[in-house]
Amino acid sequence: MGFLVENDSLADSEPLKIFKQHFGFVPKVFRAQMIRPDLVEAQAKLIEAILLKTKSLTRRQKEFIVIAVSAANQNTYFVGLHTQILQILGVKAEESDQIAVDHRRAPLTEIDRALLEFARKLATNGKEFSANDADFLRQHGVDEPQILEAVLLVGLTNLLNTAQMGLGVEPDFKPRLIFPLKEVNPADDSERPMLERPLADESASDDPDTEFVTRVQAGDTDAFEHLVRRHGRRVYRSLVGILGSAEEAEDAMQDAFLKAYQHVAEFKGRSKFSTWLVRIAINTGLQRLRGRTNFESLDDEEKDFRPRRVQVWQDDPEQSYSREELRRLVEQEVMKLPPKYRVALMLRDLEELSTEEAANALGLTIPGMKARVLRGRLMLRESLVPYFSKESARVTA
Amino acid sequence: MISCQDFISELGSLLENDVAAEIREQLEAHLAHCKTCQVLYDSTRKTLRIVTDSGSFEYPEPISEPLVSKIMERVRSSCDISEGTK
Repeated sequence: MGFLVENDSLADSEPLKIFKQHFGFVPKVFRAQMIRPDLVEAQAKLIEAILLKTKSLTRRQKEFIVIAVSAANQNTYFVGLHTQILQILGVKAEESDQIAVDHRRAPLTEIDRALLEFARKLATNGKEFSANDADFLRQHGVDEPQILEAVLLVGLTNLLNTAQMGLGVEPDFKPRLIFPLKEVNPADDSERPMLERPLADESASDDPDTEFVTRVQAGDTDAFEHLVRRHGRRVYRSLVGILGSAEEAEDAMQDAFLKAYQHVAEFKGRSKFSTWLVRIAINTGLQRLRGRTNFESLDDEEKDFRPRRVQVWQDDPEQSYSREELRRLVEQEVMKLPPKYRVALMLRDLEELSTEEAANALGLTIPGMKARVLRGRLMLRESLVPYFSKESARVTA
Repeated sequence: MISCQDFISELGSLLENDVAAEIREQLEAHLAHCKTCQVLYDSTRKTLRIVTDSGSFEYPEPISEPLVSKIMERVRSSCDISEGTK
């Protein structure tokens, strides 16, 4: 398997279980080290703490960092391994390929792109690293624990990449991309390879805000007021969905617009201005939410959801209630949803963003976004059964 | 034959009218004989209609002007600081 004598009799031993449990198999790079199970165990613990547990960055963001750094190291083994793992998490292999070859051309949110920019620089050009690099991330709304995780992930990836190279471990899968490729990490001005059309193809050319944004960027503060009026409602609704309170949403709304104003120079028109703004609002909201003590992580693993109440509904369920009652009932029940489903449902069904826009705003894949919205709708349906099923007497919200 | 679990996982696409013809056929075949999924489909569709028509979480209009002023006040004072003038 590699350069060292192997000890494969321990394949089912404790330290390897973590890999089986999380990846479904034990990558060869760890099996190749089983002459010292204690060292494998130490690496498994690091992987668990830094990569697998989601406390600050999402698992997807972390996997992207592993791929980008491994690609920067021209490590075919780890790019292939984590492309495979990302596929299990619902990310298309083509998307991972694009991140490996050139993340700047990958269909990512601006935050994810900034994270990869940061990670690649740290991995390849650590000597030039400075406080500005952390500031660069902060400007994109990345918080301190997220920065710490990104830094440690770069280190962890370098450790694992080195282990594979030093031990000469062969790939677990037939790799899709073999490094070194000439086109890896091209200079900034070179023709960049493009593996796939971006998924997020919201052309900014038909963005109705372009004129005002340009004016704001040129220093016209009054033009910003126009944007506040135009998008205030949307920003407010995203925040109410996340924070669950009108008062707090108003506070956060001020912060979000202020943040947008301070960073407007960085808006490059890669997405619509409204999407960019909602993303800032969502981040502002999530940061506040994370500050709460009993906050259930937005990145928890999905469990299967099975609808329980299957009574037949009335033909015209709305007729039993006044408009005002319906509004209150929906608000009350939406607020009871777990935050991640509530946010997804709010953005799609109340805010009426497209799946693509909402996925971009939350940094999710399209299938991931769809799954959350469906789950939110099913949970909400469940809670509305007592009000709208045929057997239900009229209940007051 | 598709299972109820399969039906549920396609339900989102069905609600958004985003399914290939052949999958739609399979889903409809399942619906024709599965009472539970019929109820589920019908009630989820109605849920969606109720939510989108509810006007919930509307922006509270009366307070919007003071809020706009507050935001613009913070915006203007932040650029005074950054420019170091006035």
